Amino acid sequence: MKTLRSFPGNRIVWHAIIVGVVWLLLLLLNNNIDPLYSAYLALVAMYATAMFGMTILVGLSGQVSLGNGALMAVGGYVFALTSMNWQTVPFFGWEWNAVWSMVFAGLGGVLIGGIIGGLAARLKGPYLAGLTLGVAVGVPAITNRFPELLGGENGLMLTVPYPAGGYAAMDAGGEIAGEADGDVVVDPGTDEGATGEDQQYAELDLTEFDQGNDSFAEGDLLTEGDLLTEENFDAGSDQFAEDDLLTEEDFGTGTDLGIDETAADPGGDAGGDAAGFDGAGQDESELAGGGLIDAFDSEFIIERWQASMAIAVACIVAFAALNLVRGRQGRVWKAVRDDPVAAAVVGISPSGSKVSAFVVSSLFAALAGAVFAQILSFIGPGAFGLGLSLSLLVGIVLGGRASLLGAIIGALLLVWLPELVDGLSGERGWPEQITNNAPNLLYGLLVVVVVLAAPGGITGTFKSWIDKAKGRGRATLS
Amino acid sequence: MTNFVDYLLGGFSNGAVIALMALAIVLVWRSTRMVNFAQVGQAMFTTYVALTVQQSSGSWVLALVVAMAAGLVLGIVVFFLVIRPVKNSDSTGAIIATFGVLIALQAGAGMIWGGDPQGFLTPVDNSGIEFAGRIWPISLYDILVLVVTAALVIGLTLLFTKTNLGLSMRAAAFNPEVARLSGVRVNRMLITGWAIAGATGAVGGVLIAPVSTISPNSFDILLVFAFTAAVIGGLDSLIGAVTFGIGTGLVISLVSGYSDSGNAPIVALVLLALNLLLKPDGVFGHHGARSV
Amino acid sequence: MKYVLPLTHPLLATENVSITLSGLQILEDVSIGVPEGTVTGLIGPNGAGKTTVFNIMSGFLTPDSGNVRFDGKKLKHIKTHHLTKLGISRTLQGVGLFASLTALENVMLGGSARVKSGIVADSLGMPWADHEQNKLRAKAMETLTEFGIADVADRYPSELPYPVQKRVAIARSLISDPKVLLLDEPAGGISAGDMTELGRMIKSWTPERTVLLVEHHMELVMEVCDLIWVLDAGKVIASGTPEEVRTNPAVLAAYLGDEGVGH
Repeated sequence: MKTLRSFPGNRIVWHAIIVGVVWLLLLLLNNNIDPLYSAYLALVAMYATAMFGMTILVGLSGQVSLGNGALMAVGGYVFALTSMNWQTVPFFGWEWNAVWSMVFAGLGGVLIGGIIGGLAARLKGPYLAGLTLGVAVGVPAITNRFPELLGGENGLMLTVPYPAGGYAAMDAGGEIAGEADGDVVVDPGTDEGATGEDQQYAELDLTEFDQGNDSFAEGDLLTEGDLLTEENFDAGSDQFAEDDLLTEEDFGTGTDLGIDETAADPGGDAGGDAAGFDGAGQDESELAGGGLIDAFDSEFIIERWQASMAIAVACIVAFAALNLVRGRQGRVWKAVRDDPVAAAVVGISPSGSKVSAFVVSSLFAALAGAVFAQILSFIGPGAFGLGLSLSLLVGIVLGGRASLLGAIIGALLLVWLPELVDGLSGERGWPEQITNNAPNLLYGLLVVVVVLAAPGGITGTFKSWIDKAKGRGRATLS
Repeated sequence: MTNFVDYLLGGFSNGAVIALMALAIVLVWRSTRMVNFAQVGQAMFTTYVALTVQQSSGSWVLALVVAMAAGLVLGIVVFFLVIRPVKNSDSTGAIIATFGVLIALQAGAGMIWGGDPQGFLTPVDNSGIEFAGRIWPISLYDILVLVVTAALVIGLTLLFTKTNLGLSMRAAAFNPEVARLSGVRVNRMLITGWAIAGATGAVGGVLIAPVSTISPNSFDILLVFAFTAAVIGGLDSLIGAVTFGIGTGLVISLVSGYSDSGNAPIVALVLLALNLLLKPDGVFGHHGARSV
Repeated sequence: MKYVLPLTHPLLATENVSITLSGLQILEDVSIGVPEGTVTGLIGPNGAGKTTVFNIMSGFLTPDSGNVRFDGKKLKHIKTHHLTKLGISRTLQGVGLFASLTALENVMLGGSARVKSGIVADSLGMPWADHEQNKLRAKAMETLTEFGIADVADRYPSELPYPVQKRVAIARSLISDPKVLLLDEPAGGISAGDMTELGRMIKSWTPERTVLLVEHHMELVMEVCDLIWVLDAGKVIASGTPEEVRTNPAVLAAYLGDEGVGH
């Protein structure tokens, strides 16, 4: 912290370096762990993305909101709706792809977040919490209100969550991602080469699809670095857009389990969701086991792809969040939280600052929601209810309300704790009733204990230890 | 027109329950100036207790009494363990802590009683009364709900206006410093407020349980309705909570009747948003109130 | 600084301001003016309405009747956060520092009104946004150095002694380069030595800046003010030089009714 502050001119560069290094390490990790853990990694990245927004909203700006689960739903639904027909409907002459859908998901979050935030900025503490609670509880009602558009209780299947549907085209198809990690930013030269190869593989895929194979063959072409380069998106969609490589059934079979899990357990219970991934994983390997396109299928692992996509979004969001939190805007948010009257006196609009915190956190939530929808290949009201909003609040409070690192730790806790409980339960043979509820019981109790005993959460407590060691006393919640 | 009357009549008993929950929220607000978002969670928990009592003893009245006692105790426990340590130091934390209690209570209930919705038997018939040649949308049970609610509201009103305890509670709520100087044991009054709120919510839970079903999350929506009613009523006013609680029940009944019960939360949300838009400061007083 | 009563073109003035708060008439037909380049004092016994005048000038309160005029223009429906942009800066009674920001960060925020880069540029880490903040940081550091407290730049308010916090607060209100500085009891809770230093500092700001001072400590007011307005029970009862005010019988009566001058 201190060292960064003393290099003010390089602050942004530092942020880029930190995020870049973390990104690289995460990709390395992702490619060298069991796909099951990649699924967890995807979830952690998704939660972290949403919780960076909670850091800003709850921690820095001091607004307790339960609306962020609903805003994730906004992002998810916008993603689903804008991606449904992208192969047939070009957008102002552009080939539609998943990146555009992500952009629109973000815009949707900004719009809805701006509306709620505009109202919320006028409210104090419990009123805001109560209003956003209403929003969280109202999500299923709203989706049911528009069954044709939003699919009602059943939700929507995503038609194109996988690479060929609009994300990046691949470079060298046979390359396993672990070796391609270096090119987080791909230079145009290699892109062109890659595009040429893509063509080849695309044709190959097509023939295979013509043979009646409806597996995830196209996915094998992905390497993470490509997610960044727009040239590739275009190239990718050129190759694949017209060809209906992905049919709804593909994803239907792949994700049924995942849907059931989330619908039955809308509490943002990562364990449940992860169990869904197991299902998806099994389906995928079954298909691969069919031996139709084993050359590629053995290399495309859906969990890895999902994790790399979620990591990409989380890292981009983390960069923006770092710039905001550690820069002028962070000071402005804290100032308004600490003393709105004094903030107004120095020329800060307290309500403007609160709205901006709301909008930024909504943007992050919506992006996380779009990622979540892609991870599930599905979006429905069950997964985005009050439980999800509450878990975001739990995560941020436990990790550390006002710290981005706290958001990441919170995200880890949200995914890891249910797994831990599940593991223990398996060892000790607890009944299902206990196992299912133990994580939430722990979360609830931990939240109370943290608020009472360590309001700075894990990171805040560490920080105050360090400060104490340095002989400095200060507020834990900063 | 008959539809309208029917929908309206059908809304009274739900409205009464919402009124009770709103009352609980207001009671807590009056004593500690905070919204207890765990209030309905506490009611859910005590309703499960009542369910257990009813299943083993068969007595609805006993179940109700036990639920009230459990609500009283739970209110005191939550106040002592969670609220008292946090309420003055960290207002954001206090809000979050009540959500922590809600999460823990829901998970706890799930552990003990399972997640599946369970039915709750009514002590009297819950089908429409036949009278004057038609079936009315009000059952004996609805009438019982209204009677119990009315008795509770009257009791609370008498408590606050006619008894020493009630006066002390009001004094402690409105001006703790002055109350303390005039010999009121403020802390004890705050506990009493939380205890009575817990019991009131418990009654609401037992009354609604046969109509809906009970599961750890089934009262979430009730929290939204009750909060809406309490806020529209001014958060500080018992009469406001009752009036707008019943009003919310009627509106929901009309919305459900004319469109679909799924729309009720949206309507509540719109009501709440409109109310907050028109008087965003609620009872907090205005921006310039800080003495500089 | 020279001024002539009645003031013809005060930089900042209230014109016939009256206000009633919770049924009490707090100010009645109050017209006071702050001539450009002066240190003007606003004094009066407790409850005279001094802070209410400040609050009306800074947009916390809207008067029932009357206006606030700044630089010849009526200020209508002023929003507090627009004040620094207009060139009016104020301190708050007590200190009003942001507890979770360092002294330097507190002072930097004083320059918020002039910051041009928005949230989008900030989030993307645009070089100009960073550059702007670096300039602001340098200026804040400079101001802290002027105030002799550069060494506490990285400290949080709770780590600082009260008089130093007060200095940080004043530094924060100065960094926006205000034309008028409204100081609300700057000498509250500081030692005699610090007060002399404070008086010297306030004097040094004029005539480039204009100062309106609400203060209980009569020694400070008498020492630094060019013009003094005396309020009692919501009305202006006297005005003039420190000498004139000191010898004014109405002022003496008002203060004797209170607890005597300077407590």
